[in-house]
Amino acid sequence: MCWPTVQARGGIVANFSTDLSVDAYVLAIAMLLPITACMLVTQVNPYHALVIRGILGAVAALVYALFGAADVALTEALVGTMLSITLYAIAVRSSLRMRLGVLEEALPERSPVADYPQPLPAATPVLSALRQALRQYHMRLELVAYPDPQALQAALVTKDVHTILLPSATAIAASQPPDSLTGHSSGQPLGQSSGQSSGQHSGHPSRSHTPPRRYQLQTRIQRLYEILQPVLPSDVASLDYLTLKSNPQTHLPHDPSAAVEPPPSMEVQS
Amino acid sequence: MQWILIAMILILLIPLYEAWQDDDIWQRMLAFASIATKTSIMILVISVLRDDWMIGVVGVLILSVGNAALMLLAHVLRRMNEG
Repeated sequence: MCWPTVQARGGIVANFSTDLSVDAYVLAIAMLLPITACMLVTQVNPYHALVIRGILGAVAALVYALFGAADVALTEALVGTMLSITLYAIAVRSSLRMRLGVLEEALPERSPVADYPQPLPAATPVLSALRQALRQYHMRLELVAYPDPQALQAALVTKDVHTILLPSATAIAASQPPDSLTGHSSGQPLGQSSGQSSGQHSGHPSRSHTPPRRYQLQTRIQRLYEILQPVLPSDVASLDYLTLKSNPQTHLPHDPSAAVEPPPSMEVQS
Repeated sequence: MQWILIAMILILLIPLYEAWQDDDIWQRMLAFASIATKTSIMILVISVLRDDWMIGVVGVLILSVGNAALMLLAHVLRRMNEG
């Protein structure tokens, strides 16, 4: 019903071109803004949403300049697009991560080209499995090296890392955790018998009947346990969930990601 | 002159569709760079169309420093894919 009006104005648009009348290109440019906004709110991946936010900022600057607000357009392009995208990218990158404590012997010296540690080939399958599991939740894996298994356990207790990766022999040697740890060996893969689980729970691992696993993962965050447990291959690594007892001395204020710890009295369903 | 802007809007829809459809993050970054440049050029065309130097100066500024966000975001994404 609006078409006759538009067609009637079609012949006299040129007369209104100097006014603030609605030209065709003004409508078309203004329509780009809700289109890109709808694209932005339908994104699932936070990094993709950041890129679309940059596109939205560019289109918004165009619309503001089109309506004569040059200062608003400049502010949108500089602050709204450049600064907010950079800050959000750093915030997302810092929060969507899992800090994995590993032994230093599993990591060689840092590469001169890239300033991140390259894992040895022996630890590659479990790390690739972890990355594949975490990629579904748009998380990334951050490796933190420690000299010995005792330092790894201490880092887990002090909430410096979310998860630690131990070789199986080391895990057996360090099967007696510190006093502030309570081990729940509910991380057995699906399809395994529960006899080994009860053996580990009582502090006497009975690994003689089954071949030893190459790595053992221990996490202190229940959500990470729920994410990793169904997808972790049983022949690569096992996963344990540790409940930290409440100890005020173990709380470190410098790690904001440690705020997602489970309650101390939480139990895991095996 | 307005038909130039109409044609530029239609051309702008191409990287917009690419940014919407493609799942690769780098393809989206390419579309972002394309859209940022195209919108800056459109601001310059509008400034010439209206003979408004203020909008023209803003268009030049956005065209020159607008892609700095792209470079910073690309660095963060590169570090994420490597680590």
